[in-house]
Amino acid sequence: MPEATMTANTGAVRTGTQELSLNKAINAALADALEENPRALVLGEDVGRLGGVFRITDGLQERFGAERVFDTPLAESGILGMSVGLAMAGYHPIPEVQFDGFTYPAVNQIVTQIARMNFRTRGALPMPITLRMPSFGGIQSPELHSESLEWLFAHVAGLKVVSPSNPHQAYHLLRHAATMPDPVVFMEPKSRYWQKGSVDFDTPGDLTGSVVAREGRHLTLVAWGAMVSRCLQVADMAAEDGVEVEVLDLRWLKPIDAEGLARSVARTRRAVVVHEAPKSAGLGAEVAQLITEHCFGTLKAPVERVTGFDVPFPSGSLENEYLPNADRILFGIQRVLEYRRG
Amino acid sequence: MAEISFPLPDLGEGLIEATVLEWLVAEGDQVERNQPMVEVETTKSSLELPSPQAGTVVRTHGEPGDTINVGDPLIVFEVPDDTAGIVGTVPKDEAPKRRVRLSANLDDD
Amino acid sequence: MSVTATPAATGALELDPQRLQADELKRLLAQMITVRHLDTSAIAWQRQGIIPGYAPMQGQEAAQVGSIAALDMTRDFVFPTYREMGAAYAAGVDMAEYMATHKATWNGGLHDPVKYRFTPIQTVIAGSALHAVGWAHGQRLDALREGREQTDLPASLIYLGDGASSQGDIHEAMNFAGVFKTPTVFFVQNNGWAISVPTEHQVAGGSVAARGAGYGLPSVAVDGNDVEAVVRAARAAVAHARSGAGAVVVEAFTYRRGPHSTSDDPGRYRSLEDERRDAGPDPIERLAERLIAADELTESEVRELWADAAAFEERTREAVAAQGPRPGAEMFEYVYQETTPVLQQQAAQWREESDHA
Repeated sequence: MPEATMTANTGAVRTGTQELSLNKAINAALADALEENPRALVLGEDVGRLGGVFRITDGLQERFGAERVFDTPLAESGILGMSVGLAMAGYHPIPEVQFDGFTYPAVNQIVTQIARMNFRTRGALPMPITLRMPSFGGIQSPELHSESLEWLFAHVAGLKVVSPSNPHQAYHLLRHAATMPDPVVFMEPKSRYWQKGSVDFDTPGDLTGSVVAREGRHLTLVAWGAMVSRCLQVADMAAEDGVEVEVLDLRWLKPIDAEGLARSVARTRRAVVVHEAPKSAGLGAEVAQLITEHCFGTLKAPVERVTGFDVPFPSGSLENEYLPNADRILFGIQRVLEYRRG
Repeated sequence: MAEISFPLPDLGEGLIEATVLEWLVAEGDQVERNQPMVEVETTKSSLELPSPQAGTVVRTHGEPGDTINVGDPLIVFEVPDDTAGIVGTVPKDEAPKRRVRLSANLDDD
Repeated sequence: MSVTATPAATGALELDPQRLQADELKRLLAQMITVRHLDTSAIAWQRQGIIPGYAPMQGQEAAQVGSIAALDMTRDFVFPTYREMGAAYAAGVDMAEYMATHKATWNGGLHDPVKYRFTPIQTVIAGSALHAVGWAHGQRLDALREGREQTDLPASLIYLGDGASSQGDIHEAMNFAGVFKTPTVFFVQNNGWAISVPTEHQVAGGSVAARGAGYGLPSVAVDGNDVEAVVRAARAAVAHARSGAGAVVVEAFTYRRGPHSTSDDPGRYRSLEDERRDAGPDPIERLAERLIAADELTESEVRELWADAAAFEERTREAVAAQGPRPGAEMFEYVYQETTPVLQQQAAQWREESDHA
C-alpha cells in the first residue's frame, strides 16, 4: 500500500461575508483554491508545519496533507523550476517565495522558462503557476525584504502580474489567479497583511481590471498594492482643502487596464501615479504614457510620478524617507494643480 | 495565538552552556520586554537575562541547578498571531501626519 | 570486447545484468548511423544556407541512442538540451519538426512535446533539470492520488553536459530530487568540452557522477562510446527510479567530435592531434566491427544502413527546406492561454501596419 494518500477534497468553499485581515483572507483563498482544485499544490520555504514566515499558509498542511502543501529545500530557483515540472505534469502549483527580494535567484526560471513555456511549446505545455510573493516595504524588514518587482515582471512577455490592496480583493484575486491557465505573479502588500476588511465571498465583483477605490472629480491618484491605502488617506486630506481626489486601484500591473485609466482621467483631467519602486523606468512611466496616449487632449497638466527614489531600498530607519508619504504625494498633487501651459 | 520559543543565547564569546540559578518569572505570567526573566551562571559570570519580548510565559526550561546548552530552548512565550515570526514590525495603522496644504483655483473645472 | 563501467565510490549503481542481443545492437547501430548522417548533413545544410545554425552531436551517438533505449516512451518524459538530436530521433520525434528550431522556424522546435514526451530543446544551460524533477514528483503525486503503489513510476530523464554541471540549478535539481526521491535520471554526457573549456577546467573532482553521493543519489560512470554499456547503465538507472527508490546519476564519458556549433572554430582551442588522441574509439565503427567480428553483421549490411540513413536525411532535408516562416499571428497567439487586451491591440496594429504578403 502507498505510504500516504492524498487528502480528499470536499469541494466546499466559503460563502457569506466575514471580517478578515488581509493575511487571513489570503489564507482563506489558498484553502478554498486547494479545496476546489484537487490538482492545486502549495510549495515553498517553511510553508508546511510553520505556516510560512507570515503565517499565510497556516493550517493548510494539517488540513490538506504534506503531499499538497509541502516545504521545499531552501532554493528559490528550485521552487520555481520544480513548479514548471509540476505544471507540465498537470498540476497547478501555487509557490511562495518567502520575500520579494529572494525572487532574484529565481528570475532565470521565471523569465526564461515559466514566462515562455506556453509560447515555445505552442500552447502544448501551459504554465498555470500562481507565484505568491510578499511585496513592497513598510515593515522595517531587513535588506532585500522590501522590493517592488512589478517593474521587472510587468515587462516580461508571458507573465501576468496582480497586486491586491484590501482583504476582499486579496481573497478574490488570488482565487481567480489560481484558476487561470497562465502564470500569475501575485504581489502581496505585506505592510497591509494586518489590515482588516469585510470579505464578501459570494460577490467577487469584476476581477479583470482596475477599480475606483474612491471617486473624485479633480484629480486621479493611480496606485496599487500598499500605496492604495496611503492614497486613500491623502484623498481625505485633499478633501479638507477642497480638492476631490479619485483613487484608482490599478490591481493588474500586467496587463494594465488602459480603458479604466482613460475613463478616470478623462473625467478628472489630472493624474498622479504613486509607487514604491524607484522612479526611473518604473511602472509609473508606463501608466503616464498610457494616460498621455488616451487623454492628451484633455489633460490639464503632465502626469506626475511620486515614487521611491533611484536608490537601493534603504534600511528600516530610512524607510519612511524613501517611501512616498502623504506630504510627497500632496506636493505631487499641488504641482499638477498649479500647472499652467506656456 | 502562537508560541515563540527563545533559545539560550551565547552569553560570552563561544560559551556553550549556562546553569539556571533562579527563575524570576513563572508559567502563566504576563511579562514585558526587558523584564528580568532568569538568573543564570556561566563559566565567566552570573547574570540576569531580560525578557526578549512581551507575552505570556507558556513554559520555562530547566530547574535551578540545571545546565542548558546554548541554542536549546530556555523559555516559550505565547503571543498574538499577528506578531509571531514577523521579519520586521507590524505597522501601526494611524493617520499620517501632513504638513503640505493644497491651494488651487479649481473654478474652471 | 568488454563493457566498461566505473562505479562511483559511494552509492554505486550496478549495470543492468542483461547483455544486449545482437538484433538489439543492430537496431541501435541503425539509429546511430542514421543520426550520424543526419548530424553531419545538418552542418552541410548550414553551409548551404538551408538552416542558419546547428549544434552538432557527432561522437555522442551511443550515449544518446543508448539512453533513450532504456526508456518507455509511452510514459517516461525526456528533457533535452540543444545537442540531443540523436536522442530526439531515437525517441521517435518527427525530425523535420525537431529541426524547426535550427531552421529558426520556431524556437524550441515544432514537435508536440506532449505527444512525443520530449520537451522543446533547452537553450539555458541546466534550465530543464528542475523541470524534470518537478515532473517526476508529479508522477509520485499521481500515484498517491490514484492510490497506486510507488513501485512502477514513470521516470523523467534529464540530459546535461559537463558544462551544465557547473550551474547552480544542477545542484538544486539534484538536491530536490534527493529530498523528494523523485523518479529522475540525471544523464550526463561528459563530452570533454563546454565550447572551448575542457572538462578538467570545468568539473572539480573530475566526475559529475561522483557528486551524486553528496545528494544520496546512486550513480554510475560508463564509457559513453560503448552503446551496450550505456544501455545497461541507463536501464539500471531507470529501474531504480521507477522502483520509487529515487533519482540516480549516470555519467557517460564521450567526446564532442565536432565544433560546439556551426559558428564555432575548435582550431582556436584544440588541435586535430588532440582530437585524435582524446576522442577515443568511434562509437559507430566500434559497434559495427564488434558485430561483424561476431558474424552478426556483414559489410554490405553496414553499407545498406548508410544508404538508408542517406535516404532519411534526404527526406528530412526536403521537409526542413520546405518549412516557410510561421504565420506572424502565431507570435501573438501563443504568449498566453488567455490573451490580454493589450496583446490583442498590438496584434491588430501589427495586422494593420505590417506588410503581410
